[in-house]
Amino acid sequence: MSRISRRGFLGTAATLGAGAAALPAIAGPKTHPPGWSGTERVDEVATTCEMCFWRCGVIASVVDGKVLRVRGNPEHPQNQGRLCARGNAGTGLLYDPDRLKTPLLRTGERGEGQFKAVSWDEALDFLAGKLVEIRERHGAESVAFFPHGNGARFFGTLMKAYGTPNSAEPSFAQCRGPREVGYSLTFGQALGSPEPVDLEESKLVVLIGSHLGENVFTSQINAFATGLSAGAKLITVDPRFSMAASKSDWWLPIRPGTDIALLLAWMNVLIGEGLYDKEYVASYAHGFDELAAHVKEFTPEWAEAITEIPAAKIRETARAMGEAKPAVAVHPGRHVTWYGDDTQRARAMAILTALLGSWGRKGGIFLPTSIEKGSFDLPDFPESKRGRADGAGEKYPFAIEELGVTNGLIDATLSEKPYPIKGWIVYGQNMLESIPQPSRTIEAIKKLDLMVVVDVLPVDQIKYADLVLPEATYLERYDSPTIVESAKRPFIAVRTPACEPLYESKPGWWIAKELAKKLDLGAFFPWETPAEHLEKILEPAGVNEKHLLSCGAVSFSGKPYLEDRAPEDRTFDTSSGRIELYSQDLADHGADPMPRYTQPVEPPKGFVRLIYGRAPMHSFARTQNNATLNGLMPENEVWLHPMAAKAAGVGNGERVVLENGDGVKSDPVKVFVTEGIRNDCAYLVHGFGQKTKALRRASGKGASDNGLMSRVNVDPLTGGTGMRVNFVRPVKA
Amino acid sequence: MARYAMVTDLRKCVACHACTASCNAEWDVPASYARTHVKTTPLAGTFPNLSSSPYVAQCNHCDHPPCVPACPSGATYQDAGGVVRVDADVCIGCAFCVDACPYEARYVSPRTKKVDKCDFCSPRIARGEQPACVATCPAGAKHFGDLEDRDGEVHRIVFHEGARRVETTDVAVGPNVYYLGRPEHLDLVAKSFPPHAPRYPVAREAWKRLIKPLVLGVVGLSLVGQAVAFFNQLHKGEEDFDE
Repeated sequence: MSRISRRGFLGTAATLGAGAAALPAIAGPKTHPPGWSGTERVDEVATTCEMCFWRCGVIASVVDGKVLRVRGNPEHPQNQGRLCARGNAGTGLLYDPDRLKTPLLRTGERGEGQFKAVSWDEALDFLAGKLVEIRERHGAESVAFFPHGNGARFFGTLMKAYGTPNSAEPSFAQCRGPREVGYSLTFGQALGSPEPVDLEESKLVVLIGSHLGENVFTSQINAFATGLSAGAKLITVDPRFSMAASKSDWWLPIRPGTDIALLLAWMNVLIGEGLYDKEYVASYAHGFDELAAHVKEFTPEWAEAITEIPAAKIRETARAMGEAKPAVAVHPGRHVTWYGDDTQRARAMAILTALLGSWGRKGGIFLPTSIEKGSFDLPDFPESKRGRADGAGEKYPFAIEELGVTNGLIDATLSEKPYPIKGWIVYGQNMLESIPQPSRTIEAIKKLDLMVVVDVLPVDQIKYADLVLPEATYLERYDSPTIVESAKRPFIAVRTPACEPLYESKPGWWIAKELAKKLDLGAFFPWETPAEHLEKILEPAGVNEKHLLSCGAVSFSGKPYLEDRAPEDRTFDTSSGRIELYSQDLADHGADPMPRYTQPVEPPKGFVRLIYGRAPMHSFARTQNNATLNGLMPENEVWLHPMAAKAAGVGNGERVVLENGDGVKSDPVKVFVTEGIRNDCAYLVHGFGQKTKALRRASGKGASDNGLMSRVNVDPLTGGTGMRVNFVRPVKA
Repeated sequence: MARYAMVTDLRKCVACHACTASCNAEWDVPASYARTHVKTTPLAGTFPNLSSSPYVAQCNHCDHPPCVPACPSGATYQDAGGVVRVDADVCIGCAFCVDACPYEARYVSPRTKKVDKCDFCSPRIARGEQPACVATCPAGAKHFGDLEDRDGEVHRIVFHEGARRVETTDVAVGPNVYYLGRPEHLDLVAKSFPPHAPRYPVAREAWKRLIKPLVLGVVGLSLVGQAVAFFNQLHKGEEDFDE
C-alpha cells in the first residue's frame, strides 16, 4: 500500500514546468489504473480537466511517468467524482499521436502547410523579432490576440505588456456574449461560467434552445437530472426534439428566430393574469408600469401567428410558471449568438426571470459569492493611444472589453480600419471552426505579416501559420488557478501537471514567460516558478497550497440566495440600482429599452435553416480526433424532417452535400430522416468536417456547420455574430 | 449469497455516453468497442407528438445465462454473486457466447481475440468501489448493489419503485439489469430493444469456429512437440559432443 502516493508540485517548484516529483506517500490505494501490475508505484495527481471548459476535478493515476487513467475527483466540490465521456477520455488527448510535437516554422508559401521543425529558442527569437518589428513599424496595437482556455491567461498578460489591447475570444461574440450583456443590463451582473442556474432546486425548468443532455457539463447535468427526478416540470422550446425535449412536460417546437415573441406573450399572460411575483417586483424592479404597457398587445394569439405555438399552450405554460414561481429556472443558455437580436432575447429572458421573482431565489438563478484573490504588483501596462480595433465599447457599445469581439478584429484586419492589424496570435482554438465566415478569416490571414498558432493539435488554421508552437495538454501543465464564484459553494481549484510534457511541447506559462524575457518584458512575470505564482494568488483566501494540491479544490461557504444577505446588501449594480425591466441605458444608445420582436429572414424556397448544436461526446471542434470519442461518434449526420428529405429527394442514410444560399458546399454527410425536427430546419452537430489531413481520425468526417456560415447577423449591441441565418439545401453526393 | 444488480434510471439518463467512455478507459476496451452501449429508441409518434427514451445496454448477468452453456471451453461462468464472467485464460475466442447472448452484450476483442464483456467491474466491487459507470454517471442515473440486501438502495428501487427488466415472454432468462422510467418510455425501450432468442451454432459453424481451430491446435501442438523433441535431441547431441 505504501507504493501508492499522491504527488503535487510543492517543494519541487523549480521542476514544475517539466513535471512534478513525489510528496511523501499517504496511506491507502485510491486508484487501480488499467494496465497496472499491482506492484509499481501509483502517483495520484488531483488536477482540473480541460476536455471542455467546465473545470471539473479529476484524479490522474500515473505509473512510471505515464498517465494510465483519468477519473472524476470524488473530493471536488463541482463534480464530486462524476465525469463526462470527454473527461474520461482525457488520456486520448495526451497520447494523441497526431499532436504537435515541436515548434514549426513555415518554409513554403503561406497556406501551403510546409514547415521545418525548429528549437524553442529559434522559434521564440523569430517571434520576438517579428513582434518588435511590427511594434516599430505599425504600433503594438497592430498585433491581435485570439485566446481560449486557461493556458492562454499568461499569454494574455504578455500581450497587454507588449502594448496591445486587441484581445478577443470566441466565448464572447460567438457564444455567451449577448447573454452576459442582457443579464447585466437587467440585474447589474453578468452570469459567468458555470452559469448559476439552480436546476436541482427548481420546480419548473424552462429551456429556450438549450439542449441540456446533448450539451453536457457534468455538474449541470447532475443538477438537471436531480431536479427532474425530484418532480420539476420541464418546458423545452426548440425546433428540434432534443434529449431535453424527450424529457419535457411541454415541448414547444418554435418557428426559429421567434423566441422573443413567445417570451413577450408569456409576460403578457403573467402580468395580465396577475401571476407574476408582485412583492418581489415591487421590492426590487424598476420600470414595471412601462413593461406592463409594453407587453399588453403581445397576446398569446399574436404570438401564435408568429411562433406557430398554439395560444392555449402559451397560456398553459405561462400559468405553470406562475404556479411554480419563484422556483422557476429560466435557463439563460450558453451559446446564444443566433439571430443578431440576441441581447434583446437575453433581456427578455432576464425580465421573465425577474417577473417570476427567480433571480437570487431558490430554484431560479442563484448569486455568486466572491473569493479574494492575490495578485502581483506589476509595472503599468503601456497605454494604447489608438484604442481597441474590435469596436468593443464604441461600435458595439455593450461589448465586454475584457472578452472582446473576434469578428471585430477580423473586420479590422480586412479593412485596415481603424488601423491596420499585422499580426495574429491564435491560442487554443480552431478559429476556422469557431468563428463564422471562415473564408473571410482566411482572407484576413492573408493580409498579415505574422500568423502564430499555439495549440496542442494541428488544427485547420495551422497551414496558414508562419509559426506553430506546441502547447502541453492540461495533463502536462500548471495553469493559473481556477476560481469559480458562480457556484453555490464557490471554490478554488488547481491545474497541475500529472506528467512531463511530451515531445517538445511546453506549458502556456513557460511560453509566455520565456517570450517575455526575449521582449524585455520579464518584469511582468515576477515569479520564478508556478508554485510561487500559485502561492501569491491563494494568499488572501487563506488557502494552504499543500492542501489544495492534495485534494485539487477547496470550497467556501456561499450566499447563493437574496435571503442569505442582509436587506441592505440586496443590491443591483444597474444605473437605477434596481432590476431594470426598462433599460434607460439601452434607450440612451438608441436601442429598445424593452425587448421587441423582430422578424427573422425566412429561408428561400427549396432551402431550410441550418441550426446546430452539441453532442455529449465532443467539445466544440477539439475532440474529434480523440480515439475513444471518435469511436463513440466518428461523424455527424444532418437531421431532416421527412418532408424536407422528400422535397430534396434524399433518403435516410444517404450521403448528401449541403449547399448554402451563397453556393458554399459542405463535405458529404449522412442524412438522418426524423420526425424530431421542424420541416424548415436542418440540424448538424458542430465541430465536424475538419479539413486538415494532420488530424488523421477527424479529417474529412462529416460536415462543418461553420463552413456553411457565410452569413451572420451582427448584434449591434455586442458585436455577437448571429449564426442561425444561413440556409442550406441537401444535394445528393 | 449476494445477487448483484444494476438499475439505470432512464428519467435521469441523458445518453451522454460517459458510462461507455469510463468503462472503456477502466478496462482498456478498444475504441469503437464497448462493454456498455448507450442508445436512444427510435421516435414514436408524429411531429409534434413524439416520444423517445435513452437506453443503456450491458450484460444483464442473467439468472439463467444462455452464454454459459454455449461456451465450449468453460471460460464463461457465473460467480457466487451471480455475476457472469469470462476467464480470458480459458477463452478460445470461438464467439459462441456472443451469438447466444440475447442482449448483444459480448464482443471479441480485436486485440486479444478473446471474448470481453461487462463483469459489473468485479475487481472494483471486490475493493468496495462502485462500478466505473456508476461512479462516473454525470446524471446520477445508475445504481448498483445487492438485491438481497433488504436495506439497500437497489433492493428498494427494484422491489418498491417499479423498476423493470427488458425481457419478453419468449426470452425470459432472469436479467439482473433494471430500468426506471416513465411507463410509456419503458414500453418503448422494451419494444425497441427486445432480447433475441439465444442463437446456438449449427454444425458447419461449429466446425469452422471450434473444431477446426481445435484440430489445427492439436496438429500444431504435435508439431511443436516434435520440434521440441528435435531441438532437445540436437541440444543433447551438442552436449554429448562437448563432453
